[in-house]
Amino acid sequence: MQVSLLIYQSQGAFAERDDPDRRAAFWAERIPYYHAMRAAGVLADAVGLQPPATAVTLRVRNGQRIVEDGPYADTKEQLGGVLILDVPDLTAAVDWMWRFPGLKTGVVELRPNLPPLAASGTPLAEASLEKAG
Amino acid sequence: MNYSIFIYETAEDFAKRSDPARLEAHFGTWMKYFEGLRAAGIMRGGSGLMPPDTATTVKLRSGQRLVEDGPYADTKEQLGGFFMIEVADLDAALDWAAKCPAAATGALEIRPNMPPMKQD
Repeated sequence: MQVSLLIYQSQGAFAERDDPDRRAAFWAERIPYYHAMRAAGVLADAVGLQPPATAVTLRVRNGQRIVEDGPYADTKEQLGGVLILDVPDLTAAVDWMWRFPGLKTGVVELRPNLPPLAASGTPLAEASLEKAG
Repeated sequence: MNYSIFIYETAEDFAKRSDPARLEAHFGTWMKYFEGLRAAGIMRGGSGLMPPDTATTVKLRSGQRLVEDGPYADTKEQLGGFFMIEVADLDAALDWAAKCPAAATGALEIRPNMPPMKQD
């Protein structure tokens, strides 16, 4: 199964990530984790996001675009990246989630992925109705 | 440039996923949208997410494991999926985002991606 780990980071973590003097320490903590995931063959995809200040939020209402600067969610920690894991079951995903190095200051949300959109709606319907663990 | 687009959907749009009368039209619209992205050669990954009530949120504070059921963000719309696209600039990303089926009911967050990490 595939799951997404949504990584929410503190302002401090974003600052550390973008500070030339502290960036190395930030990645030194995380890179071994990503390498371990790759070595285990569970990392299907990964994306790091530029800081929340670079976000733009868009809505379309009555055909008109409404564009706001900043991220959608006004939360204390902010989305900093996403990992997609390919794991045998939810337990394995949860184990990897607890190993994430940024958990002391950040937050990780785990969400099972929807199966890829198929030509027929039926498998998706079953998948949506099924509660994950 | 590489952008991530986060799809925030209404409870009503989530309900369509499991409503036999509406799910085919709902997913059909999404499939057409993603086919358009693929045909344009700009799709770079992403996934739909199971509904917010399948989420688990965790953190470590003072060595203690804290677990909560449900998504991290307590927002009106909820994250329903995300995808990455490779386009010339933010205007192009906004043009594609505006065509997204959730744009008319929910909200889309567009964020530039960091350069990929070195593999070794």
